[in-house]
Amino acid sequence: MKRMAAAGGFAWTDAELEPIRPAVERLLDALDRLESLPLEDLEPTTQYRVL
Amino acid sequence: MADLVWTSMADLGRMIATKEVSPVEVVRAHLDRIATLDAGLRAFITVCADAALQAARAAEADLMAGKVAGPLHGVPWAPKDLYSTKGVRTTGGSKILADSVPARDATVVARLAGAGAIVLGKLNMHEFAYGPEGLNAHYGDARNPWDSSVHRVTGGSSSGSGAAVAAGLAPGSLGSDTGGSIRIPASLCGITGLKPTYGRVSRAGVLPLAWSMDHVGPMTRTARDSALMLGAIAGYDPADPTTSVLPVPDYTMALTGDVKGVRVGLLRAHFTDVAAPEVRSAVETAARQLEQAGAIVDEVNLTHVAHVGPASTAIVASEALAYHAAWMRVRAQDYQPDVRERLRMGAFISGAQYLRAQQLRALVRSEIDSALVKRDVLLAPATPIPAPALGERETTLGDGKSDVRAALIRLTRPFNYSGHPAGSAPCGFTAGGLPMGFQLVGRPFDEATVLRVIDAYQRLTDWHTRRPPVA
Repeated sequence: MKRMAAAGGFAWTDAELEPIRPAVERLLDALDRLESLPLEDLEPTTQYRVL
Repeated sequence: MADLVWTSMADLGRMIATKEVSPVEVVRAHLDRIATLDAGLRAFITVCADAALQAARAAEADLMAGKVAGPLHGVPWAPKDLYSTKGVRTTGGSKILADSVPARDATVVARLAGAGAIVLGKLNMHEFAYGPEGLNAHYGDARNPWDSSVHRVTGGSSSGSGAAVAAGLAPGSLGSDTGGSIRIPASLCGITGLKPTYGRVSRAGVLPLAWSMDHVGPMTRTARDSALMLGAIAGYDPADPTTSVLPVPDYTMALTGDVKGVRVGLLRAHFTDVAAPEVRSAVETAARQLEQAGAIVDEVNLTHVAHVGPASTAIVASEALAYHAAWMRVRAQDYQPDVRERLRMGAFISGAQYLRAQQLRALVRSEIDSALVKRDVLLAPATPIPAPALGERETTLGDGKSDVRAALIRLTRPFNYSGHPAGSAPCGFTAGGLPMGFQLVGRPFDEATVLRVIDAYQRLTDWHTRRPPVA
């Protein structure tokens, strides 16, 4: 995690990152499960563009 | 004159226009109440007493000269402290922006000023709007006015808005809503709140949490007041490229009190069925009351909503860290701990994961659109639980134990993700005296129907007229 944060330009220590490790792992597991959904034909959408 | 603080914005505007009451009296009544109660409620971060009285005297002079700006002429209100206000500090509830004084008003603040409304001050919030409890380590935690014995959270992030409107410190507010930050405090504090369709209201000059999830909207005691505020702030703004050029209707014209033939879908799985028993019962009762008034009620399930939690967390965490990156590199210690930890989460979301979450967004939006083809609105609890005590970490929902924070945003966040309009209103009280709220979700840009149904419900019930014990 420290290396990944550093790659983003954040010099956070292991001690600072340890409290969020469980939440990060749960989130990444849940995001992995999105891969099983039928999303391949869907264009990413961010907002309602009516006009 | 004590009742002025419990008078609706619509009635205050009418009384001012007919010279039944002076805007100076109205503003002074609210400032007196703030002075009396806010030390305990901590709803305000900044009170603008002198400027508000000056504006009230100007509004009175205009009135005497025959110039009335509109139905909100001389009516006070207070924005959450993430709206830029010219010459008045805009902290975002943070230490980092404690001394930040904008050079101009946010578009919506300017529009309300143009409509004659008067700013009383700036309201407390979860730091940088990143939390549904409404906690603030820098300016103090706002206190829910409905429990004078236990410090219960107001809900957030628009915590001060919820407390101030519920306790009669301001008749209306503008909150912001990224995962429920208007509807959650509205539900927990027993007031009415509306998150409009994404693109209906300008976000220019409003501190962002997550650009693609942020919405701006009114928090009031009645649907009519929300309709008045929305009418004043909605519409295209060249300063916000996501705003729509669709015309803005007169939302008050939709408030007929009639729901005959309106088709209401009661959201079951993932919504009503996971709420605490008292909340579930209150929402089901509201559905029956609407049915008895002539609405056509059926039940509906949204299956893809089960995936909204992680997907929307990925989006909010990524966008929030992108906005805060510079400060998080050099001033991370200046954030309150829970916000700092949530911001750090964004560093671990890949670009591919962010875009996958945006792909799912299209699927969820399509599913909600489909549910609204044969229905005018969808009905669900706004929050599955009433206001938790400060520090309460865990709660029990219909499908098991849940972290309180996750429970608070669970039912509102799907409609930030989808962009549909959603309004919250009180629909009962627990045996312990805490308010409970429902939310109504409408078709894109059909805020009028959402407000129409809430207004009709408020003509059938008196939940929205009850006053908290602190008042």
